[in-house]
Amino acid sequence: MTDPVTDAVEQLKRLTKVMTTKAAIAQTPKELIWTLNKAKLYRYIPVVPKEKRHPVPLLLVFALMNRPYILDLRPGHSFVEYMVNQGYDLYLLDWGAPGPEDKNLKFDDYTLDYMPRAIRKMKAVSGSEEFSLLGWCIGAILTTIYASLRGAEGLKNLILLTAPLDFSNKEGITFARWTDERYFDVEKVLGTFGNMPGEMIDYGAKALKPVENYIGNFVKLWDNLDDPRVVEAWHAMNTWVTDNVPLAGGVFRQLIVDLYRNDRLMRGELVIRGERVDVSRIKANLLTVIAEGDHITPGCQSESIMSKVSSEDKELFRISGGHIGIMAGSGAAKFTWPHINGWLAPRSR
Amino acid sequence: MGDEAKGAKPFDPMEPWRGMRDVYLDAWSKTMVDMVNTEAYAQATGTMLDTYLTASAPFREAVEKAMLKTLEQLAMPTRADVVSIAERMTNIEMRLDDLDAKLDSIRNQIASVGVNLRPEPKTSKAVVKKTAKKGKK
Repeated sequence: MTDPVTDAVEQLKRLTKVMTTKAAIAQTPKELIWTLNKAKLYRYIPVVPKEKRHPVPLLLVFALMNRPYILDLRPGHSFVEYMVNQGYDLYLLDWGAPGPEDKNLKFDDYTLDYMPRAIRKMKAVSGSEEFSLLGWCIGAILTTIYASLRGAEGLKNLILLTAPLDFSNKEGITFARWTDERYFDVEKVLGTFGNMPGEMIDYGAKALKPVENYIGNFVKLWDNLDDPRVVEAWHAMNTWVTDNVPLAGGVFRQLIVDLYRNDRLMRGELVIRGERVDVSRIKANLLTVIAEGDHITPGCQSESIMSKVSSEDKELFRISGGHIGIMAGSGAAKFTWPHINGWLAPRSR
Repeated sequence: MGDEAKGAKPFDPMEPWRGMRDVYLDAWSKTMVDMVNTEAYAQATGTMLDTYLTASAPFREAVEKAMLKTLEQLAMPTRADVVSIAERMTNIEMRLDDLDAKLDSIRNQIASVGVNLRPEPKTSKAVVKKTAKKGKK
């Protein structure tokens, strides 16, 4: 028998806690092995004996405008923890938060300066010349550009999660409509702020589903205040959602002008530091994951890469869920993570 | 033992209200998703942002100029100075990374001809000894 007053006090305490504090996140043990400017390369401490580990290391590349700890949200609900337990030599590239001095950083810098250097360090530490790359969201754009330009330098497996690569279907992409040159002056925004502020990016993402994000999310918390497991999950996710990072001005300009407006990547017209990005040069084994309920990156943005790459071994995997939910939601550990592991394990020998 | 102990849900007078609320939120959500997908919404948000940027520009410029003059009067570095130093730091980091890469390459080449450049560190030997002693006990 519980006292309703005590219950109400407990629930009020929980509500105050989740609304005013940050959850403990990114707790899988790791070591910092490389830094450049704001970027950091972490290696997760292996828990599987070396002889049982997969010899091909895996590098995780997340989006530039969110914190990568969504991949290691909390113990028991962490993709990183899961993959380390499966015997992967796992690395994470954390881009950090760009400052005013980084406003001119472009895809060129991230894919031809930062990524090759981080990968070189990963190869040196792991002792393997071959490696796998997993790119999620904007991270998938970076890994696709890298794979097209430098994929011959040991890239064995490429995993693209909710990858916004094809911008030809303007009607199906809400962001494309919002950032149309008739309505959105990218130069004026960057002239004012330098970098694209994290708060504006956050508003853009939430405004795609305003009722869910601004009301439904809190209604869900209110309804489940008596369930500590739901509250804990909500707290961790809210900590991540509210931890915004600005996007470097140069990258934002390329994202809007080159990709959203002109679809230069899939049309083979994107030029990175003088080199044309030709996705048909990708020969690595390819797994593309599409979230069927993705409102940020609709499936039409990730499908066409499959027919353009030269990879002989390729798979398109569709899963129900949203942009973030497929990797960090309650079903991720049952469906998405085992599928990625099942695909990658035999290809990591 | 009540129904609760048997696993049945206790009666909740708020349940019908919650159901109605969820139906309403669902309908509202669909309407809003359709609304934000329109040209009119894109145009309206674009105009609002443009108006804000235009209206705030003179104020921002005035603050920037005043700040610049104040920092100069106080012989303090300006934002541009700090940015310039940060850019130079990144360039130095790149050079160091290049050196690191070259050192790794030289180390690998030497290792490939059979010379061990990385002897076991003394600290790790000490750890091994300690562990061995503990094992004997």
